[in-house]
Amino acid sequence: MISVSKLSKQYGNQVVLKDVDLEFAKGQSVALIGPNGSGKTTLIKSILGLVVPDEGKIEVQGANIRTSPNYRRDIGYMPQLSRFPEQMQVRQLFSLIDDLRKGEDGIEKDLSLYEDFQIDRIARKALGALSGGMKQQVSAALAFYYNPEIIILDEPTAGLDPVSNEILKAKINRQISLGRLVVVTSHILSDLDEICNHVVYLMEGKIYMNASIDQIASETGEQKLNKMIVKLIENKNSDE
Amino acid sequence: MNKIISNITLDLFQSKAILIYGILLAVLGWGLFVLESQPEKVILAILQINLVVLPLITSVFATIYFYKSSEFIQLLLIQPIKRSRIIWGFFSGLNLGFIACYLLGIGLPLLIFYPTLASGLLIVSGLFLSVIFTGLALLVSTHQQDKSRSMGIVLLIWAFFSFIFDGIQLWVIYQFAEYPIEEGILASTFLNPVSISRIIVVMQTEASALLGLSGAVFKDFFGSMVGAIISIATLVVWTVLPYIFIRKRFLSRDF
Repeated sequence: MISVSKLSKQYGNQVVLKDVDLEFAKGQSVALIGPNGSGKTTLIKSILGLVVPDEGKIEVQGANIRTSPNYRRDIGYMPQLSRFPEQMQVRQLFSLIDDLRKGEDGIEKDLSLYEDFQIDRIARKALGALSGGMKQQVSAALAFYYNPEIIILDEPTAGLDPVSNEILKAKINRQISLGRLVVVTSHILSDLDEICNHVVYLMEGKIYMNASIDQIASETGEQKLNKMIVKLIENKNSDE
Repeated sequence: MNKIISNITLDLFQSKAILIYGILLAVLGWGLFVLESQPEKVILAILQINLVVLPLITSVFATIYFYKSSEFIQLLLIQPIKRSRIIWGFFSGLNLGFIACYLLGIGLPLLIFYPTLASGLLIVSGLFLSVIFTGLALLVSTHQQDKSRSMGIVLLIWAFFSFIFDGIQLWVIYQFAEYPIEEGILASTFLNPVSISRIIVVMQTEASALLGLSGAVFKDFFGSMVGAIISIATLVVWTVLPYIFIRKRFLSRDF
């Protein structure tokens, strides 16, 4: 579904991504992890077209993302920090998206998160007046709103309360069972444990590890994702 | 496409700053005709507003608005919309707001109380200056991450075109008074949209003393009609050129 080849990006002198090759397939739920500054967000933003890479090619569902913006119809994105126009009301935000995407046919809207988070209650509030967690809720509902085939979530659980967190994780799991592709970054590995079946570990702009969770589990003999990762990193370090 | 333009324009009119701008123009435009019985004098007063106040307000406001809209722009960027459409929508939406204010505040009273060629050219040049300085402000803002630095550069550009440029021209004229520099001065006038706008309007009035040397040379060289056409063509270039660079930058910018 998403294929990244030879992707490189530099900000000034700082190399953020270097020759990254990746393939994400339907039904995969990818945990994109790595230390701070390893290039996770830049990778995601490159896929979304927010960051223009220096080199390399990205294809989403077989189409080069530079040729047309239409591939973004199939992507739902929840950014790390939800920033919205401050004066806009929540309901205006949703109707704006409706307005902009009018004329796309065969789309069934997905309001389940909208309802589960009870966004109706805050529909008339200005987005600038919402708390950080509420903004995250709106942002999550928006990511799933147009029923996308691909869902990309950048640190989705950071600002959410435990109940909302569970609602979101259940939603992600339902999407995976529908055969959607989900890509999640997070530092909270225990959250990823329940929703991901594949791990991509980025370090200093390169792919350090790209394997399914089952594979890693059998290699390390651990059950929990955080233990697996720690063990793998220790093993690699001792190899070197 | 229209959605972005209408959203920007509607959002613009929710801000108090643009309402104050509209009211300011209206008070000046309508008020001057009420207070002053000689329309020639009103034309010259409005010309001063066009040349100094209009560029200042539009460029400062456009800069603030660009940074204020960064969230909105990011929201649009992740939708299935081309970047070129987003920047075009932003540019046109913002300009549409300014143009509406100008037409209602200044254009309408001019057309009602003094419908002459001078008024027409005054309106046209005012509209051009509004779009040109919005363009210059966005040109700076799209190239700068830092808002306050952008603001500084924008104010510098405004000061340069409003008086520094004239000062330099005057200095050159004094220093090289002995030499045949008229054509050089004439050519350099095209580098300043504010000077061009002044010359277009003043050429149509009795107040040719305000033309200054560059204007006098201009009138002598082209005659008023040809002069006006060439000037307007130059203003078109001044309008289009910044937008081409804004667009180019916006298409390759990281968000």
